[in-house]
Amino acid sequence: MTEKDKEDGVDAKIVKMIVFAIGEQEYCIPILSVREIRGFEKTTALPFAPHYVCGAINLRGIILTVIDLAIYLNIQPQADNPRRVAIIVESKNGVVCGLLVDRVIDMADINMNDVQAVSEESSSLSGLVMVNDRMIGVLQLETVVGELVGDMVTE
Amino acid sequence: MSGDMDDILQVFFQECDEQLQELERGLSALSDGDSDHETINAVFRAVHSIKGGAASFGLENLVRFAHVFESSLDGLRSGRIVPTHDIMKTFLKAMDVLSDLVSEARGGAGVDHARVAESQSELEAIINSDGAPKPAEDVVPQDFVPVPMDFVPVPMDFEPVPVDMDFGFDTPAAVPDLIVSFCPQDAMYERGDDARNILIGLRDLAATVEGGTFSVTCNTGELPSLAALSPTHTCLSWRVVLPAAVSEESVHGVFDWVSDVCDFSIAREGAAEEAPAEPEATPVAAPEPVAVVAAPAPEASAPVHVEPAAPVHEVAPAAVTNAIAGNAPPAARKAEQVASIRVDLHRIDDLMDLVGELVIAQASIEALSRRNDGAVQQELTQSISSMQSLTRDIQDAVMAVRAQPVRSVFQRMQRVVREACSMTKKDVVLLLEGEDTEVDRTLVEKLTDPLTHMLRNAVDHGIEKVEDRLAAGKPAEGHILLSAGHRSGRILITIKDDGGGINRQRVMETAIKRGIVAPDAVLSDDEINNLIFAPGFSTAATVSDLSGRGVGMDVVKQAILSLGGRVTIQSVQGEGTTFSLSLPLTLAVLDGMLIEAGQSTMVLPISSVVETMMIDHRDVYLLPDGGNIISIRGTCMPLIPLAAELGLSKAPTQEGLANAVILVVENESGGRAALVVDEIRDQTQVVIKSIEKNYRQISGVSAATILGDGSVSLILDVPALIGTAIRKIDNRTSSVRTGLAA
Repeated sequence: MTEKDKEDGVDAKIVKMIVFAIGEQEYCIPILSVREIRGFEKTTALPFAPHYVCGAINLRGIILTVIDLAIYLNIQPQADNPRRVAIIVESKNGVVCGLLVDRVIDMADINMNDVQAVSEESSSLSGLVMVNDRMIGVLQLETVVGELVGDMVTE
Repeated sequence: MSGDMDDILQVFFQECDEQLQELERGLSALSDGDSDHETINAVFRAVHSIKGGAASFGLENLVRFAHVFESSLDGLRSGRIVPTHDIMKTFLKAMDVLSDLVSEARGGAGVDHARVAESQSELEAIINSDGAPKPAEDVVPQDFVPVPMDFVPVPMDFEPVPVDMDFGFDTPAAVPDLIVSFCPQDAMYERGDDARNILIGLRDLAATVEGGTFSVTCNTGELPSLAALSPTHTCLSWRVVLPAAVSEESVHGVFDWVSDVCDFSIAREGAAEEAPAEPEATPVAAPEPVAVVAAPAPEASAPVHVEPAAPVHEVAPAAVTNAIAGNAPPAARKAEQVASIRVDLHRIDDLMDLVGELVIAQASIEALSRRNDGAVQQELTQSISSMQSLTRDIQDAVMAVRAQPVRSVFQRMQRVVREACSMTKKDVVLLLEGEDTEVDRTLVEKLTDPLTHMLRNAVDHGIEKVEDRLAAGKPAEGHILLSAGHRSGRILITIKDDGGGINRQRVMETAIKRGIVAPDAVLSDDEINNLIFAPGFSTAATVSDLSGRGVGMDVVKQAILSLGGRVTIQSVQGEGTTFSLSLPLTLAVLDGMLIEAGQSTMVLPISSVVETMMIDHRDVYLLPDGGNIISIRGTCMPLIPLAAELGLSKAPTQEGLANAVILVVENESGGRAALVVDEIRDQTQVVIKSIEKNYRQISGVSAATILGDGSVSLILDVPALIGTAIRKIDNRTSSVRTGLAA
């Protein structure tokens, strides 16, 4: 919803997306929200963190948390994958976090009009889109980050 | 264009803040009986500058009030008014009003107009009571109201010769003795001053003596053709002849406020025969002697007039000496101002962050170098250690840039106390000590609210009513001492009143009534004192405007805690109460102890660690449903298995506890707990990083830091850990709690 809004004002609703895989499933997020991609490193465990939060890392002096998207999306990750990387993203309200994925595949221009909605608004997935006969899920970044920052139960 | 204007306006407001501080400092000094001439001048100058600036922005309310204020201060300056207690009170009040007006002009809260009017009439009363001719007052109607309009036209006013002052004019060489040459620089008009004021001032001066003539001649020789005329460039100068009886000092007085932005000279008729002839006679052809008298001032803002002075030296020594004497003090003042620059705070913050990074990067190189055992090892270690000391120095230097004296906050407290006094009808003097103590500026800002609360409380609850004070044999006037100083790497701020002290019996009764403590609890004096920090506590019999909402002290404590500080109270009944705030010098770094718990390295603020020891399982008592209590030399405290408490591992078994290390930690009110950790690793200085910025608050963790190897480490929130532990035990058994309290 939010990503769509951003693009609605523009004539062509083509959004450049970065495509990555978790297990067998491919997902994408707008490339403009990506800050950088890093190899996965050791994280520091955080007390009372949701189960999908791997922990905190240091990104040149900024402390941010890394979300294991496989756990978050409840997907079986590839076993023993040495290529797991963290995509560092920044949400619209400036929260920076890392998304741990199995591998980054490529970039794609996706026409937002082609995205087929799959579920209700607050979901972490805003829809599915076909690119070169592959089914790609469009991740709803703001929902993921929103959950990370706020509305969780604390001890 | 409007953007530029906004920028200039911002600069003006910044300057206003500085002037108001200057004013506050000056008035405080005057109240303390320091009626030094320079102090009075500083006060006058501050009000005058605000007025001048306000005039150029058309801030009429501000100008009008500042003008009345200035006029009344003029009486003080000329010695017609003696700064008595009451008069100083009026001035201080006027200063508060002035500061309100400034913040209103800035877009802040609206001003209480009744208060403005009241203060204005008080000031006018002072002006009217001074008995002397009131030059400034005459000026009000025709001059200051239209100032914004007045300001531009003046340089255009090139009507050739006379400025009619209703006096005889143009009789230069008759009886007159004192000749004043006056040439404003561009800067004078830019500042909002008006040549007319000077001329009117001189006229009034002439009117104070019997006989003699007064004349004004305008020198228009510098005027270019109309086409070449620039509206912002001043071309006119004046020659004023004053009666012989007028003293040179009084003429200097008239020029006092513009002496740095105009050229003027004073000469006795006999001393410099040719000087008076200059302005009229030799306009463009002979520039050198005119220099001082009618310098066109292209470099109007140059602080010291070395060049123009040199040629004239031969012509009119007396005149030049006077001119230089008049100019010297402002020049010195300017030099001081140049020594500082304004820097956007963000830039310094960025610098600070970068230095933090540098410290971390350097620590990680150091860690790496330890692993290297080749031949270069020793040299590497050496260069790293020299880099280390450089980094330290840079860090200190950046910290010093951010450091700010606490004066700005302390001086604001004067007003807080004054207002609290007028509401409670008490008479309290606030004494300041150690205002020059420097702390990180983020800390300075965050101190304002807690100090405001504490001082209001001190006036409202601390200082007794006048009749009670007199009955107790104390002076009617209460005293509060606010002091700051450095103590072993921290800053210590104390607020000491000479009031009645804390009435512990009443505190206890109230606390029981409010359900803060159990009716049968036995508390030490110190614990009772600390009850006033409990949420929802208020002993004031009636809820007053000032305090008594029962939030004050609770909020104070929270604020101080969040700054990494602690509050302690000492109170002697009948003699007063002292609050001591101990705060870290900076919010950016922290001395910490590195500990290991549940495979994680964590940082404990070293200030909260009381002692470390090996556990002795014989001292551990198991509570009915799983909690542990440890007795250390007879004192019972909760035992917190740190990793389990933070959910990082399972609760340790009795055997697991057997060989653990414990750290006794303490919170601000002296509550203690023992943390069970796996290992104590190191003691180090860490850079504090926010964890909430990209995540959320974690209970038991206050922030995070980055260790030498680049990994993230959590900084523990000791007061929160202790609080949770004590609450848990409270919930478990009330019998144990009673035991603890006893």
